[in-house]
Amino acid sequence: MPRPIPVPDATSKPFWDACNEKRLIVQHCTYCDRKQFPPEPECRECGWHFHLSWLETSGRGTIVGYSVTYESRIQAWHPEQPFNNVIIALEEDPVINFHSNLPGVPVDEVPVGATVEVEFLEVTDGQLIPEWRVVS
Amino acid sequence: MAKETGWERNSDPLGIWEHRGKVAMVGRGHSTTDRRWDGESMDKTLGAYSLVAAQNAMEDAGISPDEVDGIISSAGGQANGQPLGEVWAPRPYFDPPYDSEDGLSHVTAEWLAKQLDLKNVTYMNSHGDTVWNLIGQAAQAIGDGRATVCLVTYPNGNMAGRYHQESSLEASGNAQWSSPWGWGLSGQGFTFDQYCRKYGSNHDRMAPFIVQEHKNGRLWPYSYYALHEPEPFTEEDYLNGRMIAKGLSIFDCDRPVQAAACYVVTTAERAKDMKQKPVYILDHTESAFRPRSLVQTLDDTEEWTDIQAKRAYAGSGLTPDDIDLFSPYDGFAVFTQYFLEAFEWRGVKRGDAHDFYAGDISLEGPNPLNAGGGNMGTGRMRTVFITDSMEQLQGRAGPRQVKGKAEIAVTIGVLPGNAGCLVFSSTPD
Amino acid sequence: MAHIDEYIEKRTVTMAILLSFDIDGTLEFGEPPGGVTKEMVQRAHDLGFIVGSCSDRALSSQRAIWKQLDVPFAFVKAKHQLGTVKGEFPADAYYHIGDRDTDVQVAEQAEFGFWWDHEAVSEPWLDL
Repeated sequence: MPRPIPVPDATSKPFWDACNEKRLIVQHCTYCDRKQFPPEPECRECGWHFHLSWLETSGRGTIVGYSVTYESRIQAWHPEQPFNNVIIALEEDPVINFHSNLPGVPVDEVPVGATVEVEFLEVTDGQLIPEWRVVS
Repeated sequence: MAKETGWERNSDPLGIWEHRGKVAMVGRGHSTTDRRWDGESMDKTLGAYSLVAAQNAMEDAGISPDEVDGIISSAGGQANGQPLGEVWAPRPYFDPPYDSEDGLSHVTAEWLAKQLDLKNVTYMNSHGDTVWNLIGQAAQAIGDGRATVCLVTYPNGNMAGRYHQESSLEASGNAQWSSPWGWGLSGQGFTFDQYCRKYGSNHDRMAPFIVQEHKNGRLWPYSYYALHEPEPFTEEDYLNGRMIAKGLSIFDCDRPVQAAACYVVTTAERAKDMKQKPVYILDHTESAFRPRSLVQTLDDTEEWTDIQAKRAYAGSGLTPDDIDLFSPYDGFAVFTQYFLEAFEWRGVKRGDAHDFYAGDISLEGPNPLNAGGGNMGTGRMRTVFITDSMEQLQGRAGPRQVKGKAEIAVTIGVLPGNAGCLVFSSTPD
Repeated sequence: MAHIDEYIEKRTVTMAILLSFDIDGTLEFGEPPGGVTKEMVQRAHDLGFIVGSCSDRALSSQRAIWKQLDVPFAFVKAKHQLGTVKGEFPADAYYHIGDRDTDVQVAEQAEFGFWWDHEAVSEPWLDL
């Protein structure tokens, strides 16, 4: 299915490049000791950019909840309806969350609370996006 | 159309509003309500409807256009200044005054002032925002002495077809974090899912609230449903609604309409000479938040609405027990419960909303929640919250007039993450 | 109306055919109005088709539309419930008529034949 492809910008490019190397990274403010995702030009806490670096994550998380899309505003998704929309909280910092469609899990049978691990899905030539699979 | 900032009351801790009870709402005016503009009838454009609403509001307040010295309009209807619906371009424009988007997909204060031939306007503002914020801004401007008699107009348009459809395969800007996974209205479904898991509830338990809103809305003459689908909306209707996203059926989403409203806001002193009983503004507060990470969670939602409630009580000096009428926004019906629980109206605490809905929330009973019917009962015009609050306090809500006391009304909207809250009173103190 | 006479003459074998109409954008009393008129629906009913509606309108509102059409109807359903009609009304063929992608989608899921609103104005069911 052709799906919307992320278009990296100056701030997000390191994240998408890392995905292409099958690494899940988030921003880290060394001054505030705070993780940040999605990436932004500055730390939302201290407002400074020069303490921001990139940190590789464990790639593990927990399913905290979900919905099922029956009618999307995004036309490219119409042939896939209905599909799962799942939210993953990062293991080492549950405030940080990610999207998933949980490939392979039947619609509306999402195991909330389950542990998941990141994998990467090629959505177009040369662009991977993070996806997740249930491990326990 | 630069956005005027600095007027918002959003710094914690807030004290009592310095103009508490010194600003009043007096008149209100509406256009009729259509499902959409047909692209042909120039007497049914958003501009034409805004003019009708403004004339009706001035007539209601008993003032002439020459008495108006301020005008605030939501150019777009949204907090970001964009029209809520689609724009008319690239279709060709019409003869003046419809030779641009102004008057078609949005309506600025400048356009209105010209068409209404308002000669004495010295304060004009038409940055985009929602109706709660516009009235808050008018209240502050009047309290600060920048205007004395201000029209606040709020147009909301709907062109042919469906809006907010996304056809691009390129996900840029914020969409790069959501569209590759087809995220959209599922956001409301996700928060509701978290709510139901945390507090042990389910979607069907929303039914009594939605049915009551439709019932109330049928009693408001400008409601889309009163005008076009007057048959009663039942629990059977709600429970058979098609899901758009799990936790959010088509009957939890408000129906886009073409309509405009206008309000006359003035000083408490000046209000005394006008035609209607003044409704005094005890407080206005504003708030804007961002999710801590990618998506808005229930934790975010509860934290934000708690802050909103705290600001409203601190700014007005009132407590939950003082509120007779509470009208929290319902543009997605799930919003209401988050506001209701944060404000603890009628003692409703976190997780209690659905039990509360199962009780008596009728106009005749002790807990008339959203007495005007909200967006669910009237359509996506967002103005019944203001109009009903006014009319209840003025004692002219007709068949919607609540049986209980109607002296203090509070309304808040539009989003848990971005809202204005208004506290109205039938007396200035 | 040679078309109709032809149909009546041709239709010697009695087949149960169910027609499900979307409302908004499809029926003349919809919002926006569609091209399928009261007369077309009445004719289908009179000729023995099982007629009803399947729309995003509330069920109460759908019943009100049928009252306005003044045509006896067999069912009203929410769009996602189209498939349930099959269990309630055994028929030899099932068709849904609508104006949106959602109509196509629900028809496919329920294994109904489908006509767009603009196709329906020529009453293609009379050619079955």
